This record gives sequence, structure tokens and C-alpha cells, in this order.
Amino acid sequence: MELSKAWLLYQIVAHHQRLQARRHVMFERNRAMKIFGYIFVAFWAVYLILLGVSAYGLFSDRALEAFDWIDGGMIWFLILDFFSRFAMQETPAQNIKQYKLQNIPTVFLLHTFLLRMGLQPYNFFWAFFFVPFGLMAIPQFYGFWGLVGYIGGWWLVFVWNSYWYLLWRTLLNRNYLFLAVPVIIYVALAYFGIFFNEENQWLFNGTIRLMRGFCQWHPLCLVIFFAMSTPLYIINYKLQKVAIYVEIAKTEEVKTFKTHNMTFLDGFGIIGEYLKLELKSTMRNLVVRKQFISGALCMLMLCGLFSFTDVYDGMPFMRVFICVYCFTCLGVMTLTTVMCAEGNYIDGLMVRKETVLSLLKAKYYFQCIMLLVPSLFSLMPIIEGKITVFTALGCLLFASGAVFPFLFQLAVYNDVTIHLNEKLTKSGRDTKVQMLMSGAALFLPMLLMYTLVECFNEDVAATAMITIGLIGTLLHPLWLNHIYKRFMKRRYQNMDGFRNSR
Amino acid sequence: MNLTIENLTKSFGQKQALNIDHYAIHSGEIIGLVGNNGAGKTTLFRIILDLLKADTGCVTIDGILDGQPVSCDTAKSEEWKAYTGAFVDASFLIEYLTPEEYFRFIAKISGISDAVMEERLLQFNSFMNGEVLGQKTLIRNLSMGNKQKVGIIGAMLHYPRLLILDEPFNFLDPTSQLAMKYLLETYSKERKATIIVSSHNLTHTLDICSRITLLEHGVIIKDYDRDYALLTSEIEAYFKGNINI
Repeated sequence: MELSKAWLLYQIVAHHQRLQARRHVMFERNRAMKIFGYIFVAFWAVYLILLGVSAYGLFSDRALEAFDWIDGGMIWFLILDFFSRFAMQETPAQNIKQYKLQNIPTVFLLHTFLLRMGLQPYNFFWAFFFVPFGLMAIPQFYGFWGLVGYIGGWWLVFVWNSYWYLLWRTLLNRNYLFLAVPVIIYVALAYFGIFFNEENQWLFNGTIRLMRGFCQWHPLCLVIFFAMSTPLYIINYKLQKVAIYVEIAKTEEVKTFKTHNMTFLDGFGIIGEYLKLELKSTMRNLVVRKQFISGALCMLMLCGLFSFTDVYDGMPFMRVFICVYCFTCLGVMTLTTVMCAEGNYIDGLMVRKETVLSLLKAKYYFQCIMLLVPSLFSLMPIIEGKITVFTALGCLLFASGAVFPFLFQLAVYNDVTIHLNEKLTKSGRDTKVQMLMSGAALFLPMLLMYTLVECFNEDVAATAMITIGLIGTLLHPLWLNHIYKRFMKRRYQNMDGFRNSR
Repeated sequence: MNLTIENLTKSFGQKQALNIDHYAIHSGEIIGLVGNNGAGKTTLFRIILDLLKADTGCVTIDGILDGQPVSCDTAKSEEWKAYTGAFVDASFLIEYLTPEEYFRFIAKISGISDAVMEERLLQFNSFMNGEVLGQKTLIRNLSMGNKQKVGIIGAMLHYPRLLILDEPFNFLDPTSQLAMKYLLETYSKERKATIIVSSHNLTHTLDICSRITLLEHGVIIKDYDRDYALLTSEIEAYFKGNINI
């Protein structure tokens, strides 16, 4: 291929990659998420700068130089970097697919994507740590060019790590068990290279020497880098070449499903039918299932902490915190996206009479049934006298009669469809309103209960929560109907949103 | 079952998607809605089904509910939903159910017992062609054609007096297309139902419809009664771009 054509194609691919990042589905319709993303990056950048500055302070008056301590711990940086890439880095095979039928040699595409993998901005991200740290630690020993060599050296280390990550990420796509290999390698390196023999910390000392070499622009360091990177690049090249075809031929594994009529719910009429939908949606859709499992695990963990440990004994704030969260966390984690799963088939629901009202009722009953789990767990601290029956009852009723009605308001405003079988990060969750409401649903009950406990006592707090919760629970047909009417008023806007985000 | 459209307009930004002064569909008619992409067929269906808000105008459906005649503005009442069945696209399907579960769900919320549902499903046997029931698979894992079949059967299961189908011949294999034609003709005769279908398949549409409405840029430019010879030649000519209608 002519050099000018190769350069042109490279520029086109690079441009597409930039567009892909900018127009990521997660940000497309969700401005809040986009802003949140920038804030997240800015937060970590500032955090790394602060860490870099404090690291110098922390290690500056020890036997070794500050940079030696940091360089000796290279393995920890590599581990952190490796696992953080799971959220950021895609494999070239996933991206090459769309160019496969174009008149571009696959070899060229593979090299382009692999090269760009080394040049990706994420490999520079650690510079937020190493530039301020290096500025304070290096020039006094190696001068300005030593600093440049030092930062460049670390960049090359992360470039190498990106290829190392790519190798395992590609294999992981075939079988999750491949994750065990890098984990074992990291553990073995850390153990045998640093902890096993304190007299001979070969990894610690080796990485110190390597980075000192970079500061001195020692050619051997570059030789080591290329000697370690070239085989990795070649292995990745060969692996990606095969992976393209695996990616193209990828088909969803079709499981067989037995028809479940769940006849035990037949007695509940139409609501029973929607309860069946709710159960099947939770069991069969990846995103809904993950949401539910995360919520349930969080709930079980808090319940377990509360019931079987004495970690929070004598800490009134934490006791209130855990007690309230046991009952609300599942609701918060699943109801935040209420109606978003239904966005996938909202048209089918809307051409049938009052289906959304029945659906909302079924969702409410489902959440109330799930409250039985923390109720059972709370028996233990009740028996042990950590909390009173009143407090547990207060939290239970407050969840069903105040927190749930609050979260169900999102049924009126949620208008982004979640993609039921995508990864959670790609499913289109967490709009601005959802984030605000879930935050409020988590903190307001705790604030209320804590204030009442502090101002009066636990019994008064529990009585207040029981009263509020009981009223809300008994009035659920009224507020659900009200939500349904408001949903119907906003239906065109919501359906439009659901349709556009499918 | 009559359907009347009055002063209906809908725009998306600057683009007018629909502009219909008056359009009436009478009981027992099979209407074929034809037009090129962007003509406004699906938009019209969505507005009829109250899935999209019209800028102006209204759609009224007259029907019989519990033995009493009713007349509903589809945007203001939900009564029409009891005697209307529709399938526009996959967003009408609950894809994490098996076809059997989906039909059972539709039957239950329409007040149909399991026995009646199973009896009604028998009528669709040749249409399903052994590819829908008993597959032990979720709707989302079915082929597009079989998804289409599930959607169409789901729309017809409660025997609606008004049936609206958007592109019903899409994705269907030739055998299923013929079965679909037969199904619609029989259903219309037996149930005295009004059927509105849109399609790019002129042959099938002309074969089964008693009336053809031609849409262009949201405007009804021709409404043909069944004068078959004239209708066929004119419509074909229109799509060939040889005639200025």
C-alpha cells in the first residue's frame, strides 16, 4: 500500500475512533451522564495529582529516594492499571468488524488498531500522578531531561501494560477462566519478587534500576521495552487476526426455555399476570437480573452485618444507617429505573386498557414481598436486643409507605429504555432525575430517622415512621392511581423517549 | 366499527409528516395503506393507536362494547382498546417471554380463558407452520419472521373488531405470506372486522384489500375503491413514476 494512502486510511480510522468515543450510546441521550463522566475524569485527574504530590512527601526522607519507592512498586501500578482497563478498553477485533468488507487490507487494519492501542489517551492518564511526582523528585538528581526520560519511561510501561491487558481481554472473551492467569502471574510476581525473600527483592530492585535507566536515557532500557513489547505485539496481532473471525461469527447463545405458567399467581387475576412478568423479567434479562442481584446482595450484606456482627453496636448513626438501608436498598437499586425495562415493549402495553396501572401495582407488590427478606433478617438483632420491634417495623413500613411511593414517581418521568441484555454500563441507566431521586431515597429516610432519634428517642422515631409508612402503604391504590394518571398525561413524551433510546 | 379521521396533522420539526382533512373507514373494509418510505403510514398508525400525539385533529373509533355502541376519541378514552388489535413492530412484543407465555399473557389480560385461547390458537396453526409453538425459546431468539407471526397472532387473539397491521408481510417466507393473506381475508369475513394494513408488497395488498389509500408525504393523494383493473394499473404506474395522479 502506498504511504500516502496508508496515512489517509490511518487518519480516517483515527477520526472514526474519536467519533465513536464522543458518540458513545451511554452519552448520546444522557447529558447528565456525559457531564458526570467529565467530572469523574477530572476528579481522578485531581486525585492523582494530589497523590503524586503527597507520595513525594511520604517517601522523601527514607533510606531510598522517593522515586525509588514508587518505581519499586511498579507491579502495584501495573495491577491497578490492568484492572481499570476493563471499563475503558475494547479489543481491536470488535472495532475491525465494520471495516472488514471495505477495500482495506486486514493486515493494515490490525496494525493500525494495535498501534493506536499503544497511543490511546488512557496510557497518558497516569501522567497526572507521575508528572507532579517526577517534578519534585527527579530534576534534583537527573535534571530536566532526566524528568522527561522518567515520565516517558512510565508511559512506555503503561503502553506495554495495554498490550498485556489486550492479550488477556481477548482470551477472556472466549472463556472467563482466562482471568485467573494474569491474577496468578501478578500474585506470583508480587510474592516472589517482593515479599518472599527480603534480601533479594529482585522485582523491586529490578524496576528501580529500569526506571533509573530511563532517567539516564540508557539505551538498554529501550531495548528491554522493545524486547518485552515486540513478542507481546506479535502475539496480540496473531490473536486479533483470529478474533476478528470469532467476532464476525459471534452468535448469541440461544438457551432453551421451558414455558413457565406460574399458576400459583393465577389467583391474583390481572395483577398476578404482571407479577409473572416482573418475575420473568428479573430472571431472564441480564440488566434487570444484575440490578436485582446487586440490590439483593447489598441488602443481604447489610442484613448480615446487622444481624450477626457487633461492629455497629454503640454507634447510633451506623445503626440507623444500616437498619434503614436494609429495607430500602433493593427498592432504590431496582425502582430507580422503574418503567425503563418496559420501554422495550411500551407500545404493546399502551394499546391495551389500563395495563400500566396493573403493571405499577404488580411492581409495588413485588417490592413489598421482597421486604420480607430484611424483615426476617431483622429478627436476629431484635432477639439480641440491638433494635426494637418498633424500629424494624418502622423501617419496614417507611420503606413500603414512603420510600416506594417516592421512587415510584420516577415512573412518570423515566423515558429512557434500558437495553435488557447489554452490560450495565451500556444499558442507558442513570439519568439526572434518577440519580437525584435515588440519592434522596437513600439519604432522606436516614436523615429523618436520625434526627428523630437524636431529638427524641428511638421509640418516637419508630412511631413516626410507622405512622407515615402505614398511611402511605394503606393509601397505595390512591397514589398508584395518581401516578398512573400523571403517566398517561406525559405518555407521548415518555413513549417518544423510550422509542428514541431503544 | 367505523373509524374517522378529522383535520389530522403531525409535524416533526419543520417536516410535515401527516396532513389529513377527512378520512373515514367503514365497518368490514380491508384498507390497504400504500406509499413510499416516509409517506406517513406508520405515523398514521401510531396516531390512531394513541402512541403519538397529533398536532391537531382527532381519530374517532365507533364500536360496540358490552352490547352498547360507543364512540371514542382515541386520545381521550381507552374504551377503544377493548375491540382493537394492532401490531406495528417488535416494540409490541415482550421478548423475554416464550410465544406460549406471551399468548397466555395477552389472553389473560383480555379476559380469555386458557381453553378458549388454545382453541383460538388452532386457527393459526398453518400460519405458524410449526415454527412458533413448542420451540422452547424466547421471542427475542426467534427469527424476524417468527417474531412477526407472534405479533400478528397476539394482535388477533382477542378477536378485535378493528385490526391494524403495519407491514404484515415483512420478514415472512412465501408460504407464510400466502397464509397471512388467507388469514386476513377469512378473519374479515368471519368476524366482520375492519382491517387496516400497510405494505410495500403491492401484489398482496391489492389482492386482499377492498380499498387502497395512497399516501405521499403525509397527504392522502388517492383513495381507490375496488375497481381492480384501474386500481392495479394506476398504482403500479404511480410507483413507476409514469403517471401524474
